Amino acid sequence: MSAAGGVSAASITPVVVRLKLSLLRNGLRQSAGRRAAYISSVVLVLLFAALQLIGLIALRGNTHAPAVALLLVALLALGWAVMPLFFPSGDETLDPTRLVMLPLRPRPLVRALLAASLVGVGPLFTLCLLLGSVISVAHGAAAYVTAVVAVAVALLVSVALARAVAAANIRLLSSRKGRDLAVLSGLVIAVGAQLVNFGAQRLGSAGGLSQLDPVADVLRWVPPASAIGAVDSVSDGSYATGVVQLLLAVAALAGLLALWSRHLTRLMTSPDGSTLQAAEPAAREKGASGAARLLPSGRTGTVMERSLRYVWRDPKTKAAWVTSLAIGLIVPVFNALQGTGSIYFACFAAGMLGIQMYNQFGQDTSAFWMVAMTISSTRDAYVELRGRALALLVITLPYATLVTVLTTAMLGDWPKLPEVLGLSFALLGAMLATGAWSSARFPYSIPQEGYKNVAPGQAGLAWISVVGGMVSAALLAAPVIALTIWLNVTSGGDDWSWLVLPLGAGYGALITELGLRMAAPRTAGRLPEILAAVSKG
Amino acid sequence: MTEGAGAGVPAVRVQGLWKRFGEQIAVAGIDLELPAGRFIGLVGPNGAGKTTTLSMVTGLLRPDQGTVEVVGHDVWRDPVEVKARIGVLPEGLRLFERLSGRELLAYTGRLRGLPGAEVDKRATQLLDVLDLAGSQHKLVVDYSTGMRKKIGLACALLHNPEVLFLDEPFEGVDPVSAQTIRGVLERYTGSGATVVFSSHVMELVESLCDWVAVMAAGRIRAHGPLAEVRGGAPSLQEAFLELVGAQGRIAGADLDWLGGGAR
Repeated sequence: MSAAGGVSAASITPVVVRLKLSLLRNGLRQSAGRRAAYISSVVLVLLFAALQLIGLIALRGNTHAPAVALLLVALLALGWAVMPLFFPSGDETLDPTRLVMLPLRPRPLVRALLAASLVGVGPLFTLCLLLGSVISVAHGAAAYVTAVVAVAVALLVSVALARAVAAANIRLLSSRKGRDLAVLSGLVIAVGAQLVNFGAQRLGSAGGLSQLDPVADVLRWVPPASAIGAVDSVSDGSYATGVVQLLLAVAALAGLLALWSRHLTRLMTSPDGSTLQAAEPAAREKGASGAARLLPSGRTGTVMERSLRYVWRDPKTKAAWVTSLAIGLIVPVFNALQGTGSIYFACFAAGMLGIQMYNQFGQDTSAFWMVAMTISSTRDAYVELRGRALALLVITLPYATLVTVLTTAMLGDWPKLPEVLGLSFALLGAMLATGAWSSARFPYSIPQEGYKNVAPGQAGLAWISVVGGMVSAALLAAPVIALTIWLNVTSGGDDWSWLVLPLGAGYGALITELGLRMAAPRTAGRLPEILAAVSKG
Repeated sequence: MTEGAGAGVPAVRVQGLWKRFGEQIAVAGIDLELPAGRFIGLVGPNGAGKTTTLSMVTGLLRPDQGTVEVVGHDVWRDPVEVKARIGVLPEGLRLFERLSGRELLAYTGRLRGLPGAEVDKRATQLLDVLDLAGSQHKLVVDYSTGMRKKIGLACALLHNPEVLFLDEPFEGVDPVSAQTIRGVLERYTGSGATVVFSSHVMELVESLCDWVAVMAAGRIRAHGPLAEVRGGAPSLQEAFLELVGAQGRIAGADLDWLGGGAR
């Protein structure tokens, strides 16, 4: 072995590219399911790439073609910039700390890593989009030549952007807070999709694509979109503008590479995030210690306090809650806004929040053993479950009421308020009851990393737990639903519809109590089985 | 220290304990009596069934067969009596990591039914003794391995149990934390309580325990006072290797290129 000579600069690039290819291949080798998922996602991406390629080519000659192309390239660059923040584990060669033990110098390393990042589905997609963009705007020989340079520069800027962002934030990404952030990324994507949807709807309406023009005027100077802007300028004959725009993109590339290289050097010569974090002085985590005094004493208050703390502090629990709160608000309120809503949609809030009662012990993960060690009787299990239900009610009751009042105000249907509230409370009670029971009967693990909410092999269990539970909850709430319908169809029933409020609330409370009573002995009797079921994550 | 059901009752009595996971037999019929008031080590190689055994003894895993009594009370028929008397530090299970160290102790103590003021007093003392006072407001998720073991130990001790079960309490723990844990445990057994802990580090077991049980492949190979198990062997390590039949497997000739400076 001759290790003394060191590794020459020329030889690193193919090694790192091969490493990337091996990582891709080995990722596929892990399981058939993963292979299928990967291949289908590649096919989907390629189909999508082909579609937008065709779309952009079809736009060629349209007055708005440059605006669309610029916007798409800018959006794509934005995607490259945020991607490493939310998918830090997506590309293992993105994490330079893995290479820290090797005797490598920054400059060849940057070159090698940049080459490696050009391998993959993402760069391929980007290449397709860039090709489509230049085809849609380039006219004339000079423009074609510019286009070739522009595509290469824009692609490199996109990739270097992702690398630079990852290197600059690796300390955050490799820390606990970074991993917490990654768990919340699903939410960001969901909200982003809503915004895109909203934007697309506006573009589809009157005015259409011309609304894009002012945005495009700015974007044509922002790299990497400025490279496409250069092609457009050259097509129009403004060669000077084109050169400046292209130079801007090249300067951005140089700047990003310099930034990346500097961070890389610092990363490879300083301790990693975990060491620094351990050395940090203890920061005081602000708790709800003031509000905690308002909670009841004994096990009930203790359980409530922990549950409520977890809603805020545990990323998985937080993501689930935010989703429930958002959907519970959006569905009734947006429907009301569009004028198509029914006031009964307000019950959606109660239903969505009631879901949080499901799989209570799965939310504990294997820390459930600490609870199991203190449950030695049915009474203990009952108090534990009741504490969790009460913690849920602290948030749910005011929220469901607020959403109902808000929806009513928007629809202006005040006489219906009591019955919708009553219906909401009854539904919430039914959800809590079935949630408590299925928590004990069908517990399943929630993996702490990633976006999955069910551990492998437990999807069926989760399905039974949530869907079965919701169907039974609807059945349990049936008497109150029937009463509401009856009052609405009977002549003069409207005079009595306020009765649904006290009856629904009372029924909800009663059925929750019954559900807890039925769930308690099952919980107390199945502690080892529950622990085994929730420890798979 | 109260002796529960009176003197002479063993801390733990296990009879005919079996556990299978699919094809694999993790615990293959264990009969064992652990005397009260001792520092007891459960030793064995990785995969010997130590964790499975301790989980079944503490009620966290249901055995396929067999009975377990802790201080004279059946673990599965009399959980009220048993759970109040034992403290547990399992291996490979999480804590409620999104609580700070102090919050975790406050939560555990109150869940155990201790009065709030008493919990807070004991928590302060335990945090001090275990050298965690400086990190008491940090979330447990940000703790190092040693700190996690120490806060887990504090949770297990908070209600002053009669028998303490610790699964690999020194695994991945730095020497300073290990010494701290050791000091607390020695003081605790000194008052007449029982500690049962599992480990595969023989030197540690030899220096800490006065009674050991050796496990391998799901069975108990030897048990009794330390000197008895060690027998004629120079150290527990030697005696252990002899018991599990792993002696003489020293790699030699094949690695002749290793070391010596030549490349």
